[in-house]
Amino acid sequence: MRIGVYVCHCGRNIAGTVNVAEVAEYAGKIPNVVIARDYRYVCSDPGQDLIKNDIAKLQLDRVVIASCTPTMHQATFMNNVQKAGLNPYCLERANIREQCSWVHADMNVATAKAKSLITAALARVSLSNALVASEVQVTPAALVIGGGISGIQAALDISNSGFKVYLVEKEDKLGGNLLRLNKTFPTMESVPGIINAKLEQLKDIPNIEVLTGTEVSSVSGYIGNFKVKVKQKAGEESELEIGTIIVATGFEAFDAKLKPELGYGAYPNVLTALELEQMASLSGPTGGKILIGGKEPKNIVLIQCVGSRDKTVGVEYCSRVCCMFTAKQAAYLREALPDAKITICYIDVRAFGKGHEQFHERVQRSGVVYRRGAVSEIYKKGDKAVVRAEDSLIGEIYEEEADLVVLATGLRPSPTAAEIAKTLNISLGADGFFLEAHPKLGPVETTTDGIYIAGCAAGPKDITDSISQAHAAAIKASIPMFRGMVKREPLVAQIDEGVCAGCRLCENICEYGALVFDDERKVMTVNQALCRGCGACSGTCPSGANQLRNTAKRQIFEMIDILVGS
Amino acid sequence: MQAALDVANAGFQVVLVEKNPTLGGHMLQYSEVFPTLDCPQCIGTPKMVESGSHPNIELMTYSEVMEVTGEAGNFKVRIKKKPRYIDASKCTGCGECARVCPVVMKNEWDLGKSERKATYIPFAQAVPAVYTIDKTEKTGCIECFKCVEVCDARAIRHKQKETYEERNVGAIIVASGFDIFDAGLKPELGYGVYPNVITGFDMERLDQAGGPTAGKILINGKEPKNVVFIQCVGSRDKTVNVEYCSRVCCMYTAKQAWYVKHKIPDARVTVCYIDIRSYGKGYEEFLERVQREGVVYRRGVVSEIYKNGDKLVVKAEDTLMGEVYEENADLVVLATGLRPAWTMSQLAKTLGLAVGEDGFFVETNLKTGAVESPINGIYIAGCCQGPKDIPDSVAQGSAAASMACTLVTRLSREAVLK
Repeated sequence: MRIGVYVCHCGRNIAGTVNVAEVAEYAGKIPNVVIARDYRYVCSDPGQDLIKNDIAKLQLDRVVIASCTPTMHQATFMNNVQKAGLNPYCLERANIREQCSWVHADMNVATAKAKSLITAALARVSLSNALVASEVQVTPAALVIGGGISGIQAALDISNSGFKVYLVEKEDKLGGNLLRLNKTFPTMESVPGIINAKLEQLKDIPNIEVLTGTEVSSVSGYIGNFKVKVKQKAGEESELEIGTIIVATGFEAFDAKLKPELGYGAYPNVLTALELEQMASLSGPTGGKILIGGKEPKNIVLIQCVGSRDKTVGVEYCSRVCCMFTAKQAAYLREALPDAKITICYIDVRAFGKGHEQFHERVQRSGVVYRRGAVSEIYKKGDKAVVRAEDSLIGEIYEEEADLVVLATGLRPSPTAAEIAKTLNISLGADGFFLEAHPKLGPVETTTDGIYIAGCAAGPKDITDSISQAHAAAIKASIPMFRGMVKREPLVAQIDEGVCAGCRLCENICEYGALVFDDERKVMTVNQALCRGCGACSGTCPSGANQLRNTAKRQIFEMIDILVGS
Repeated sequence: MQAALDVANAGFQVVLVEKNPTLGGHMLQYSEVFPTLDCPQCIGTPKMVESGSHPNIELMTYSEVMEVTGEAGNFKVRIKKKPRYIDASKCTGCGECARVCPVVMKNEWDLGKSERKATYIPFAQAVPAVYTIDKTEKTGCIECFKCVEVCDARAIRHKQKETYEERNVGAIIVASGFDIFDAGLKPELGYGVYPNVITGFDMERLDQAGGPTAGKILINGKEPKNVVFIQCVGSRDKTVNVEYCSRVCCMYTAKQAWYVKHKIPDARVTVCYIDIRSYGKGYEEFLERVQREGVVYRRGVVSEIYKNGDKLVVKAEDTLMGEVYEENADLVVLATGLRPAWTMSQLAKTLGLAVGEDGFFVETNLKTGAVESPINGIYIAGCCQGPKDIPDSVAQGSAAASMACTLVTRLSREAVLK
């Protein structure tokens, strides 16, 4: 065996706490280590070239890189050693940054720990086998769950790329929450116009199958080969063969009744922002006229952050759209009721998007009064709703006798989110929205290959940003279909049939249905395509017949011996 | 990079043109990103490596687009490759040339707060890892040829000239980013006059482990004990012709306030703000954490900064208390906003694109066509369309990639049918 060891400085990140030269020297003396080097940034081009050249010149058959967590540069290093002709599964990582230099202050301690982490990695890699990733075909069809603006846009992109799309919507009609909106901010476009234009585009495309009144009942399989059962309201169930999945299940509005002090449901002149949208819509019950009890309101108060930034109702986050939504409503109220007094109660004005600040200013110039501060209660006085609030800018409590109060209710996760998360085996965050693979660089990906998220399913956002995410999720979902094949990780469970007693203890542990009992031979077998390499079954196996490739029992115990013994 | 990777991963060929010597852009200069406090080099360099080594991506760094003709499906693009005075195919990145180079210049990577040689590489993980000899400024290379003597790879080419290449492409994605507002345009804040008034971008380099102080927050060699952050410098400010909000400064300030609290726990940290715009996923929660850790937020406008002995005094109005107050500071950080990149107007001309009143590229429709330019086949992504944070920029990068791929797919299908 000929092993190369590379100790990364990561600038001062590692070298500031770990004596990297000493660690490399130490590693160089361990049996089978042919070369051990330290280098400033192993992930940089020259650092990678160094490894490649060593593999060729010194005929290395194993490589250990001691650097950052494998969640960062694993693909970088695997690709690199493969280019030099080394099997990428003969590469081992020792995490001497997150698990060493970043958590220790004392250089002696950190250096000693780095040495043992590398020694353990050497023990493991010595027992690793060269493995080959298999490839499976991708079914050229996508499933989009949710027929709102995000789902529609994602479906359009995928079908324009030439792939089949099933667009599933639980309601009887496509359009989602946009069906309840009147105008956009800051452009004051007609929302029904936007939806109709998209629906027209959908009609022209033959390879989109729209399934309204339909819900996803079960999902099995893996990227490229999902089997999805969908159920129509009538009870009819069918199974679809799917390559990739986009979740675009949107949001639901916060229930204003959870803030009883605001009088929603008790006073007829307290409306939610969505109710005002419907009233202002030309196709609404008043033909677009703003009427409360048959009369035009003279004094209107709009209250922001209802069910947002409010721990008393368990919502810590900002709903991202309500500030501009409210400004927009003030704009059309001003237009319809030029003489009305319009007041907006806010905490912070979040006019952060393109053209938003300018719009906000226009609204203020039109005589809409912004008052900073929280509303403590709304009570009834005759046919008026009195808003009691504190103006935190002038430090006084004031009351406004309003004919109309509009509550800018925030955005909550779709009520279906939890069920869908379970069905798809993907995660929700603490806020109840779907969790992305990485908050900065992977906003539309989930941690499950082949499943993507878009729009408000991933968190509150406006139409602009929802559509951007829909396009983004569409390309992610299309890439495996463009390629036609996906790689399957070979790091899966493996059964030594000679040892397996057929106890079947592992079978129920598996979350993915990857373990199949062979009734004739009375041994367990692994469906490698379904196995995700979590290792739960291997841990359960009493005889050691079931082991994870390159994380075998012997490898784990040798590492423990080194780490605990030192 | 995100747009290029998505298009390339879908199986199309990509030409990735970057005017600077390395990929990466602004993100790689930061110390940490909000609200996850990830290190941007850690999350960014894998994308750089992937972009630099992708079989479907032809990388042209230190290059500029000079001319675009044709139409969707068949654009002809003329690209200028600026001379590095080093043969990129031969350079091994060993750095000997920089070691012997006698010319010391300001290092723009550290926003002028450190020095580099005339022969340089922006940072250690640059892609490509190739040195560049700076002859763009008078203070640059003096052609002493010491680098020629030490280069074992014989890669130095002092007589290198710019070259031009032509590429045919079906679609174009513009992702040319932003520049930082010049804080000198607000003279009342003393930037450029007082050395302890710095911008948020300076702060990133000051906190970064690879920066000029190796990550120590030091002003004149000392840890500041009283730090004031001022938001909206060059944002929401008509006096400097910037009406818009820069969308990221509230959160980067919260993050930087955390840097100070984290490294100098006994420092007094004050943030002067107008509205706190913590609108993104996990942002409100992060803001609350920062406030819990003792950062004081005061609402109001700063009128001026003046010097009193060796201390700075920030004069501001607290609009919540309705009082004018003064805060002593030994470090003031100006949260400078985002401006259109200086290359915008030229790029707009070359591509035939329009810029809006705010100076950013105009989209077909703010709601439904944010990544589409008015020219069929040309898409816009990230901060060249308007300020935005990393996740929204990444989403737009992918979005533009999706538009480009669907266009090219549709056009080739139509061509086959014809």
